[in-house]
Amino acid sequence: MDSSRYDVVVIGAGLSGLIAASAVASENLRVALIATGPGSFVLGSGCLETQEIVRLGGSPDLNEAIEFFCERSRLAGNPFEGDIASSRPLPAILGDFKSVALAPRLLWNAEPRADLSAVVVGIRGLSDFDENFMAERLRERTRAMGLACRYAARQISLASDCGAPATTLRIAKRFDCDPEFRSELIDALRRAASGFERILVPSMLGLLSSEPEILQFEREVGCSLGELPTLPPSIPGLRLFHHLWSCLQKTGVEMFQGFPVQKLEIHDGLCTGVHVASPGHPLILRGESVVLATGRHAATLLDRSCPGLDTQMRPLDAGGSAVARNLFAAGSLLNNGAGSRGGATEILTGYRAAKLAAAGRGSYAAR
Amino acid sequence: MRPDDTAIDNCLKCAVCNDACPVFGAHPRYLGPKHLGPELERLRREGISTDTVWLEYCLGCHRCDLACPHQVNVSEMIARAKAEHRKPFVRALRDWWFARPGLLGMLTTILPAVSNAALSLRPARFLMSKLMRIAPQRRFPAYTRPNLQTPAKRTAIANQMRVVFFPGCFIRYNRPQLGRKVIELLERNGFSVDVASTGCCGVPATANGDQAEARALARANVRSLAKQVNAGMRIVTACSSCGYMLKTGFGGLLSDEKEFADAARQIGASTFDAGELLMAQSDAGKLNTDLKTVNLHLAYHAPCHQKAQGIGRPWYHLLRQIPGVTIEDIDAGCCGMSGTYGFKQEKYNVSMAIGRQLFDAVGAAQPDMVATECATCQMQIEHGTTFKAIHPVEVLLQAYDGRPL
Repeated sequence: MDSSRYDVVVIGAGLSGLIAASAVASENLRVALIATGPGSFVLGSGCLETQEIVRLGGSPDLNEAIEFFCERSRLAGNPFEGDIASSRPLPAILGDFKSVALAPRLLWNAEPRADLSAVVVGIRGLSDFDENFMAERLRERTRAMGLACRYAARQISLASDCGAPATTLRIAKRFDCDPEFRSELIDALRRAASGFERILVPSMLGLLSSEPEILQFEREVGCSLGELPTLPPSIPGLRLFHHLWSCLQKTGVEMFQGFPVQKLEIHDGLCTGVHVASPGHPLILRGESVVLATGRHAATLLDRSCPGLDTQMRPLDAGGSAVARNLFAAGSLLNNGAGSRGGATEILTGYRAAKLAAAGRGSYAAR
Repeated sequence: MRPDDTAIDNCLKCAVCNDACPVFGAHPRYLGPKHLGPELERLRREGISTDTVWLEYCLGCHRCDLACPHQVNVSEMIARAKAEHRKPFVRALRDWWFARPGLLGMLTTILPAVSNAALSLRPARFLMSKLMRIAPQRRFPAYTRPNLQTPAKRTAIANQMRVVFFPGCFIRYNRPQLGRKVIELLERNGFSVDVASTGCCGVPATANGDQAEARALARANVRSLAKQVNAGMRIVTACSSCGYMLKTGFGGLLSDEKEFADAARQIGASTFDAGELLMAQSDAGKLNTDLKTVNLHLAYHAPCHQKAQGIGRPWYHLLRQIPGVTIEDIDAGCCGMSGTYGFKQEKYNVSMAIGRQLFDAVGAAQPDMVATECATCQMQIEHGTTFKAIHPVEVLLQAYDGRPL
């Protein structure tokens, strides 16, 4: 078997590319995923907002796509909960509330409810998060919502703090790789939790930590834990990226990370090769179908005059016909200047493009 | 990774490089690639001195470059700053030697038995730790007299493809038997193999901040390889770091030296990892598939410099073709050794902290052995686990001739 041949080659590992690759791989096809970086989902708050889902309302396959996403996130160890018809408040970065449809459990744990008694815990030396400010804002906003919630603020100090300014990213990485750091955090949080039914911390509880590990961590702290959004990069967003990425790799998707696609080879209306700008000489991958999920910033692979897509999600050339019969587009590449709010649109278009790209394929069925 | 100077403007400070950095999570005070790279680079370009000891802590693994959504050459900026970095005398002296594994290899292999005995003696290691700040927990690999002569060529086929094998310091001075296996493997697949008469590729010099030495080595290598490359021969490497250097480094180091720049680029375009070359043979239906059963459960670890070559996982797929072999890509990040980095006393703990995830993953996989292309990844895996680590070449060759590993 020629190792450079695939049923489907997906370009881009933002949310739409990851979902497209997952959807194709779930049909037992041989898939390659080419990525430079994790896409813009990791800059947002890591949940799917209601507003965007409303905007997509009426798409016949929205339910199916979101269900698929929820199933994959569960399989990957980072389950998203909720449903597209619901709209529940979750804290935003400055302590306002926004309407959310789907989020991981750790984020849902920061949802306010009547008579909640929670403590917002900050960490000494952690920049860009102020527990006093956050607690005050949450108190004020929940009062306005007519909820009698009690938010206190506490700061913990960690002995392993070495005076250098910390970021949530660094803490999350240490959470993943340093068991002593985790135990120290458990002790400090346990002390801060006394008298409260919930602890709210900035999002920092690991990038690789899976749901069972987090549940175990919560048990050891002895209190339910919720995560609050912080400045980018979003730990919940990166966490989803890492989980989906490693799940794809485990299911046999070949990952090519680090180098952009420099050229799409198109002959007689078919995309016959994808040239990756690897050092020295280009790496050429060949897919029966190709899904382009590069985002708008990297859309140089298509002619600037591309007027849009046909009904099969294929980019059109200036003359109005498909650039290639087997080339499909997904993700924020499709937004005409509107900008993506990151989430449901990517999932929907990634899923849709994958279905179209996978139809009739299977010459190189996965191992 | 775009090797041009405007790449710095593509940095949006998104911190995805910090996420990818193995040191960032393992050392609580390490400043991270975003700060050491593009952020300080802006000041450096204004002539403002920003020298910091943390530059030494960059592994040079290139994971930041691969993770960057906008192809900023983060690690190259750090490497350039490292070259300007001032170290205290003892560390500077030690790193001078670490930058020259070729010279070290030449000297130690004059009397390898004496060198090996001396390097492994407890008092000698104690002294090296005190005087040279070399981690006493580490053992130097044994040195052997260089011998890459193989028995008479198997078969001389008229239109055999001639390739040049670039052995690198580790194969030349520590494991020439592995080099002979690489040659044998290539010959069994219809290649006629010349051995390059080159020295060190220059990765250790770059990693230790010795840019002048790296450039000198690059020039010598380009001079030595240019003729063969011009004649259309491909260069084959079996060490991920040498391969990475040949593909990208010479071109980068010598881009402003007219007489070398083109040849350096051509060498980059002509260089293939042994696995990459054999996988291409396999794709073309030309791989020697006379493979005997080898009953082995392997854990595969992809070295950082293998990932940085952007060639996929050729060895993983080649080994899977061997009947009886089961292989698991453990994909648990960097091993933390990074050539000479793990040998440095002040960096030993961070090196081991980085490797912890890999060690745990290897332990969970319970393999018969670990297969990985990089010699120092092998050392680190054997140091941090109870498992033996080998080069994939050895497994494939065993499948051809049935000789035990």
